[in-house]
Amino acid sequence: MQEGSFLPSFPLAGAPLVLFGFAVLCALAVGHAVVRYVRLPRITGFVLAGLLLGPSALNVLDAGLLENLRIFVDVSLGLILFELGRRLDIAWFKRDRWLAASSVAESLLAFLLVLAVLRSLGIPAVYAATAAAIAMVTSPAVIMMVVSDERAQGPFTERLLTLTAANNVFAFLFVTVLIGFIHAEQARGWVNAVAHPPYLLFGSLALGYAAFRALHMLARWLPRQESVQFALVVGLAVVTVGAANGLKLSVLIALLALGVFVRNLDRERDILAVEFGPGAQIFFIVLFVLSGAGIEVKELAAGGLLGLAVLAARFAGKLVGIAAFGPLSGVGWRNSALLALAMSPISAVALVMMHGAADFYPEFGAALRSIVAAMVITLEIVGPLATQFALKRAGETLSLPG
Amino acid sequence: MSLAFSRSEQFTLGVELELQILSTHDYNLMRGSRELLALLDKAGHPGDVKPEITESMIEISTSVHRRYGTLAAELAAIRDAVVRQARRLNLALAGGGAHPFQRWSEQRIFPRERFFQLHELYGYLAKQFTVFGQHIHIGVDGGDEAVLLTHLMARYIPHFIALSASSPFFQGVDTSFDSSRLNSISAFPLSGTMPFVRTWDEFNAYFDEMHDLGVVESMKDFYWDIRPKPEYGTIEIRVCDTPLTVERAAALAAYAQTLAAHLMTVRPQLPSQDIYRVYSFNRFSACRFGLEGGLIDAYARGRCSLKQDIAATLVEISPRAEELGTVRALNQIQAVLDSDANDATWLRDMFKATGSLMNTVRHAADLWAGTGALQRK
Repeated sequence: MQEGSFLPSFPLAGAPLVLFGFAVLCALAVGHAVVRYVRLPRITGFVLAGLLLGPSALNVLDAGLLENLRIFVDVSLGLILFELGRRLDIAWFKRDRWLAASSVAESLLAFLLVLAVLRSLGIPAVYAATAAAIAMVTSPAVIMMVVSDERAQGPFTERLLTLTAANNVFAFLFVTVLIGFIHAEQARGWVNAVAHPPYLLFGSLALGYAAFRALHMLARWLPRQESVQFALVVGLAVVTVGAANGLKLSVLIALLALGVFVRNLDRERDILAVEFGPGAQIFFIVLFVLSGAGIEVKELAAGGLLGLAVLAARFAGKLVGIAAFGPLSGVGWRNSALLALAMSPISAVALVMMHGAADFYPEFGAALRSIVAAMVITLEIVGPLATQFALKRAGETLSLPG
Repeated sequence: MSLAFSRSEQFTLGVELELQILSTHDYNLMRGSRELLALLDKAGHPGDVKPEITESMIEISTSVHRRYGTLAAELAAIRDAVVRQARRLNLALAGGGAHPFQRWSEQRIFPRERFFQLHELYGYLAKQFTVFGQHIHIGVDGGDEAVLLTHLMARYIPHFIALSASSPFFQGVDTSFDSSRLNSISAFPLSGTMPFVRTWDEFNAYFDEMHDLGVVESMKDFYWDIRPKPEYGTIEIRVCDTPLTVERAAALAAYAQTLAAHLMTVRPQLPSQDIYRVYSFNRFSACRFGLEGGLIDAYARGRCSLKQDIAATLVEISPRAEELGTVRALNQIQAVLDSDANDATWLRDMFKATGSLMNTVRHAADLWAGTGALQRK
């Protein structure tokens, strides 16, 4: 043993962990400051903290570190999508066809309008369609965090969660199919083009189903306490995330499918609805900090106005889609507009999806990146505020005015 | 200021039920009365539907009935209409005197002036008042009769408590009470019983005094177990938990109607202040032990089991049941005694079977909607 080898050597071995923990603490502080001094939602603070610490500003969380932390994003997003999937009650769509109609309409119109804008800018069809599919999505993380922070509850909130779950499902289907077209576009052989989408989709669904069966069996056997079931859900979600990564399947589709299976196939509700309590907040914080750190300010500048045009098209699609059928489904004009507004947060899922596409074909990413990034960045900052505003106006938050 | 008593036809019947509005995601209480009321207004419905103090409650009420049969039919029709609209919002409804695991602090006051005032006055009691009762109205043909019937009914109040009890769980725990709901009501300063006045004039004198002292503004401010309701020309029995089914609610109303008819026509007893000496104890015993409770009979000066007392009363009033057409309803009450199981027992059994309060509430919601796979035995 060498003299003095018990002393740490530089760079410190634990440094990434220290930095990561430090980022979470910073997020808490900025989140609190934002609520207290500017009266914005906490999430905006988390994202800003990430932005400040990220490569665009202080570079405390540098690109290498972010790559290492990708697993945290996967697990956090996976859990959040699982929870979102549990809000998709297919029986409700069957009972209220107009709800189903407005769900399809808002997703499809947002897709078509964004596609039209991107095409008019001369973006090639396949790339434009992929970006448009990404624009269908409402951020599950933002919606669920704002709902929980504002302690929102009621029919408006239920509808918001259900429509969000549905547009995530639609977007995943679209993007998966489009992956085949991207393969074809890039001339990477017909096997990739034809076989990759079904492998991703059905593989991920099968994994989600297998996880559901395992969860169901364990939930029936273990004691029915919320704390036990919470640990069970987290443990199983982590296994599923790992399996999806290993099998090169979609983490997001598998976990969303797991949630949807739980809601619709577990008839006797052996799997309890576990409230994501204080313990689960860490997943949200991690997700928002890291997605904030992923923001590249120079892209905001590059994509700026075009991003705003896409954003406007997306909002118009959602607004018209919901308002067209809302009144038939018992939601008045005012609440339809508020729903569209509440659904504006775009997702870190969008970035992950884009990462997914960019992993295959870097040139694809570059073509669209700045436009999508500009839209995502804007909505990451403004979106939570829109959701918070809409929930308050709908009268579903705990601190009612008056 | 004198309260005029509007007379109504003797022994006519009406029922109000406060219902739980539930999320189908986790079967916790959820706000939704405003949206539900809006849909009901649009679609139309029999009976009347009103908001209650917190937004996760809704109250349905029947019109005035002479016969049990039509009352039961109307209750079922209102239930169907309300359940249909609730399903459009993906909400569930359920009976039960209290929600087993809601947190009172999460409840929201329905935006209406009177409810905000109550919240202002009573503080957290107002939110804790998120409990669900059945109110039974019995028509009387004058104020003096209302005062008399209120006193005569007082002895039988434990019957109604034990037969309707359906709030064994509260804030996530088994309270060991069959009806925990009445404990929430006892916290209010104007709960309890009507003072021992003998005529409507004496009642008015008391009311005027309370009014002039600023204790109350209207009859609504008295949260008594039974009270005269001068606007309707009725007495109102307010101790029942909302049962788990409308059928049970209708049967309880029929029991009250038949008993009232018996007490007023046969007059087996006179009003007695002695009743009120043992009243609280009897009330407690019925809440705590349900049908297994004991009853101290102030008239007979003895102690008996509540179950025996109900059984004996059913026999005693059976001649009136023939006249009023309530035989079928009283048979239902007898069946509750025979099975030794009120709704509190049903809920406890369900909790034992499913191991979770969430699933207990889910089954109660199915039972309420009339679609339960696990119907009553």
